[in-house]
Amino acid sequence: MFRAGSSGTVQIRPVSAIQVEKLTQRFGAVAAVDDVWLDIADGEFMVLLGPSGCGKSTLLRMIAGLLPPTEGRVLIDGVDVTHAPPQGRDLAMVFQSYALYPHLSVARNIGFPLRARDMPKRAIEAKVADVAAALDLAALLDRRPRELSGGQRQRVALGRALVRDPGAFLMDEPLSNLDAKLRAGTRAELSALHDRLGATFVYVTHDQIEAMTMATRIALLNNGRLEQVGTPEQVYDEPASTFVAEFLGTPPMNLLDVTLRSGVATAPGVTVRLDLPDRDLILGVRPEHLQLTTGDEAMLRGHVTRVENLGSEEVAICAVGAATVRVRARRPIGPRAGDTVALRADRFHLHLFHPETGRRLVPLTHQEISCVS
Amino acid sequence: MTTKVSRQVSGHVVLGTLGVLCVFPIYWLYATSLRAPGDIGSLSPLPWPLSLDNYADAWRTIDLTGMLVNSAVVAVCTAAGQLLVGLFAAYAFTVWRFPGQRLLYLLFVGSWLVPFQVTMLPNYVLLSRLGLLNTIAGVIVPTLCSALGVLLLRQHLAGFPRELLEAAAMDGRSSWATLWTVVVPALRPVLAALGILLVINAWNEYFWPALVLRDNAMVQLGIRSFMGTEGNDWGPLMATAGLACLPVFALYLVLQRHIVNAFVRSGLK
Ligand SMILES: Nc1ncnc2c1ncn2[C@@H]1O[C@H](COP(=O)(O)OP(=O)(O)OP(=O)(O)O)[C@@H](O)[C@H]1O
Ligand SMILES: [Mg+2]
Repeated sequence: MFRAGSSGTVQIRPVSAIQVEKLTQRFGAVAAVDDVWLDIADGEFMVLLGPSGCGKSTLLRMIAGLLPPTEGRVLIDGVDVTHAPPQGRDLAMVFQSYALYPHLSVARNIGFPLRARDMPKRAIEAKVADVAAALDLAALLDRRPRELSGGQRQRVALGRALVRDPGAFLMDEPLSNLDAKLRAGTRAELSALHDRLGATFVYVTHDQIEAMTMATRIALLNNGRLEQVGTPEQVYDEPASTFVAEFLGTPPMNLLDVTLRSGVATAPGVTVRLDLPDRDLILGVRPEHLQLTTGDEAMLRGHVTRVENLGSEEVAICAVGAATVRVRARRPIGPRAGDTVALRADRFHLHLFHPETGRRLVPLTHQEISCVS
Repeated sequence: MTTKVSRQVSGHVVLGTLGVLCVFPIYWLYATSLRAPGDIGSLSPLPWPLSLDNYADAWRTIDLTGMLVNSAVVAVCTAAGQLLVGLFAAYAFTVWRFPGQRLLYLLFVGSWLVPFQVTMLPNYVLLSRLGLLNTIAGVIVPTLCSALGVLLLRQHLAGFPRELLEAAAMDGRSSWATLWTVVVPALRPVLAALGILLVINAWNEYFWPALVLRDNAMVQLGIRSFMGTEGNDWGPLMATAGLACLPVFALYLVLQRHIVNAFVRSGLK
């Protein structure tokens, strides 16, 4: 849907790098964003991911300049813009509600940012036509926003951002008002758009699929604090905390409280050999990394309480001691409700977390375990 | 069944009676103004024979055209001023957070609650010091800031999507430009309806102009010319009053839907 501009010329556009230092926003006693440091390189697709109310929008609005931070700095291309108004930042924003001007036609909505810059009328028309063609909006240019479908509105909002050639695009859950099918299609188009423009994207979502599919890097937020920043692979394969481990993946990672004594981690139904010093731990393993086994290499023993069918795969929900463990595998998974199961996983698929802080533990040598960051 | 019907009937009777009671004085006003000068005291419900003599009389006695023009100028200027002041104040109150905001807003609301009689004398004295007594400007200026306008517009602006204002800021508009390119066009129906209300309000004002203008330069005051110590000249008086009401009725007839809308949307009844 996003075709190259009809002019066909390659434009050299400025691309912004964004740095966020110690950024904090307090609303009364609540810290909506708390001491966030983030380095967004130019051309990056950075996704701010986290549950509802974790401060994603607040962080984005501070980057945009719509909300003055309580503390900290925002730098764009190395220039401190913390106190600059939004107009001075060369950023374009796509809002969750799209925020289309209800009294203006599609064409005038898209051209609005250009008229603010006193661009000549001809140039504006040409530019709007270009963007509209790229977004498949050419036939809708005379309509008002209320005469458009959700997907069309979303594209107009995108067009209004695109038309300016901004240094960076800020997007606050732009797909959340679309139905599932349209969302999947638009995800791919946004990724393609990012590749084509090479511009910096800062994209807010609470949807892990959007984050995993589009991001070059993901910043996970929890209660206003940054939990982890990394590529989709990094945050999925090496979650920095139990929060990240549980937030990503469907179903989320299984977490078990275990006690490690003389090389064996135990809990009711759990026996795992770990060549590490004695201590309490949280043991994590992803549902897709658990395998059914018969031999004595079983790590977990329990019984199946339910089997859920996902289509191509099945999830067996098992009771292991007092804990619930989910196993995900191709359909048919085998055991049915009521069956007893023995489960194992490869050593390198086990994750260890600190029992109090929930931070990831990595064995440095066989003798010690240290806390990551 | 019968009780239901009788209740409906009695309901309509009550409403009908109230309606007649409301409309009757207006009907009587026009009926009297159309009687021949000799029948002015007549109590017959239908004026017959019809005559426009009273209108002609009023026309000859006072400068009706000039008065109507003055009245229109006052009503339109007052309404426009109130709308503009209300728009600026309401915009500032909704868009910016600033210290003392709540206090200032309370003062606005408070000024609405102060009865006119309290501010009347200070305003009068001030006008006389400024030399604005007996001028049209003297009628308009003290009423330019209407708390009602501020309250109603703030009500509407509070419901205005904040994201639209933020989008305009991201698109490079200053808050001044945002007001004119986003807020005003999007609120046009509301502003139009409120404007009409304020025009009617200003047109119906009698007391304040009566105080400021000694020479009866507005049609609402022209009525006074026919009231004398030897008795009232009812015919031309009714004719002038009838003329004074016409523009408001006309406005109401043409824009009925908008006016009702303005009330409904503002949450006032
Ligand atoms: N203007 C405000 N005044 C007070 N508290 C606020 C304000 N704006 C946001 N908050 C609070 O700050 C926290 C973070 O809000 P924010 O909107 O950034 O969350 P979010 O991550 O974008 O959530 P969602 O996914 O639901 O949009 C929330 O607890 C919210 O209640
Ligand atoms: Mg949000």
